[in-house]
Amino acid sequence: MLNRRTLLGAAAGTLAMPTLLGAQEANTLRITGWGGAWGEVMRSKHIPTFEKAHNCTVEVDTAFPFVPKLLASPRGRPVYDVLHTNSNEQWSVFEQGLVERRPDLKLVPNAAKTYPYATSDSIVGIVIFTSAIGLAWRKDRIQAAPASWKDFWKPEYAGKRASYVIPANSLGQALFMMAGKVYGKGFKDLDASFKAMEAVKPVRLFDFTGGAENAILAGELDIAVLHDTAAYRNQDKVPVEFAAPSEGVMALEQVLSVTTGTPKKALAHEWINFMLSQEVQRSMAETVWYSPVRSDLTLAEKYRGKLLTTPEQVATLVQMPWQWYNENKDRIDDRVNRIFRG
Amino acid sequence: MGRWFYVLNGLILAFLLLPVAIVILFALNPEPFIAFPPSGFSLRWYDKFLHSRDFMHAFMLSLELGVGTALLAGCIGTAAALAIARGNLPGSGFLTALFLSPLVLPGLLTGFAMFQLVMVLGIGRSSSVLLVGHTVVAIPYVMRTVLAVLANADRSIEEAARGLGASPATVFREVTLPLIRPGVIAGCMFAFITSFDQFPVSLFLVAPGEETLPIAMFNYLRFDFDGTIAAASTVSILLAVLLVLAIERTVGLQNSTRL
Repeated sequence: MLNRRTLLGAAAGTLAMPTLLGAQEANTLRITGWGGAWGEVMRSKHIPTFEKAHNCTVEVDTAFPFVPKLLASPRGRPVYDVLHTNSNEQWSVFEQGLVERRPDLKLVPNAAKTYPYATSDSIVGIVIFTSAIGLAWRKDRIQAAPASWKDFWKPEYAGKRASYVIPANSLGQALFMMAGKVYGKGFKDLDASFKAMEAVKPVRLFDFTGGAENAILAGELDIAVLHDTAAYRNQDKVPVEFAAPSEGVMALEQVLSVTTGTPKKALAHEWINFMLSQEVQRSMAETVWYSPVRSDLTLAEKYRGKLLTTPEQVATLVQMPWQWYNENKDRIDDRVNRIFRG
Repeated sequence: MGRWFYVLNGLILAFLLLPVAIVILFALNPEPFIAFPPSGFSLRWYDKFLHSRDFMHAFMLSLELGVGTALLAGCIGTAAALAIARGNLPGSGFLTALFLSPLVLPGLLTGFAMFQLVMVLGIGRSSSVLLVGHTVVAIPYVMRTVLAVLANADRSIEEAARGLGASPATVFREVTLPLIRPGVIAGCMFAFITSFDQFPVSLFLVAPGEETLPIAMFNYLRFDFDGTIAAASTVSILLAVLLVLAIERTVGLQNSTRL
């Protein structure tokens, strides 16, 4: 039976609902994130720690694509508070005014403990981890380890090497720029890069690194442009090795940036600081094989010599000029499409 | 029929079914990567799929959305088809085009537009919003099948019932609905499958932590490339086969698809 008390209670509850939802919303940090092993460790371990410490909820969107969603959300009400992507995507997002150039480093004390490349001029946002892009190769099929990027072009690997669909994949784009450096005057030498792309055929091109990783594990290929993480995490299964070419390994940085107009700026900076903490840096390095960006971290024996933790190892990292690449992307896409289609 | 007719049919069937067979084989390969031919037999990827919290949550959500979409799109699509075919509405051509527009527009565009709408309205993404999105995309399938049945249905039976004093509701319940039942069931079946496999709309509308099975598979594929994906695909294929068999057993597939 509906009495006056029940009616008043229901009315009060209904009236309070928007306030309650608003309060809940105000306490929710919306970020982008990755799936796979990364997502599992974050969800089971680090996100609950952060939520408890800051009395908040962290809402992780792992469904790509992130940038179009951010682009489609109202400017004053971005769909994310913190954007987590690879470094190449951050420039175009920044140029569209969707993220801030750099988090306020005064609010990120752990940033002082990072290697300079984390906040270099070629980066929008701040780097939290990096993978090294080099050459993964099968020890059972290749006698001598590749030493230079030029080895990828050797005639004996024709049809047995893997790279990526350049318009769609950042590793393919990075290789394109590296080809300009090793065969021409530098990363921005378009003619040298185009010639090198002609010369690398026949080559199997993949959309995702997972495809190339699978093909080299299955023994379909001898050599592939791949990140170190993919090679190291599979060494217990197949005879695959990672080679860091003498010209340097290309950095595939994971970057966090604060979105423009987010009402949760303070919490967003707390999250970035948390991701740079010793605990998270060590844990993610040792579980998912990403090189930490902190300079004061000593990892377990198993990871030494593989992940880039010492100043000497970090010095081999080459950061790619993504801003320049994005400015020339349409032109490059058009030409490489014709090269690989022909 | 000539021998070549059977050969051609066999080739077409092989072209359609061979990829499915390969996916099923991939799922049974014990190797930690996808390779053909398989090196042995193992159910480890099914075990991983069935014990994965993410995949199971996504699978159940996709099932719930599929059932919800079939019901909602079934009701709305049937009502819209009846109104257009029987209602003598002004601008029925425009209404038909409007309802069928999700079939014409690229799925990614539909998904992006819906995402933008919910953001502008401040509704945000949720499973309810996703259900609405799936329903919009599935309505044309129900409409097409019901309109096709209505075009062949004998209208004089409905008129006779009305002439004998039956109310519009009784005519619908006792005459029209049994007449269009095959179209409604086939439409609902398409709606379920459209929702269960829906990718472009889900890509934009899934709420964080509420991924559907196709989205969960896509995300997984970006980071891991093992047989779990093949196991998930096989389960999806089996579900579609079971659905068809269930309809065949309950209402008769031939009746439902004779359009």
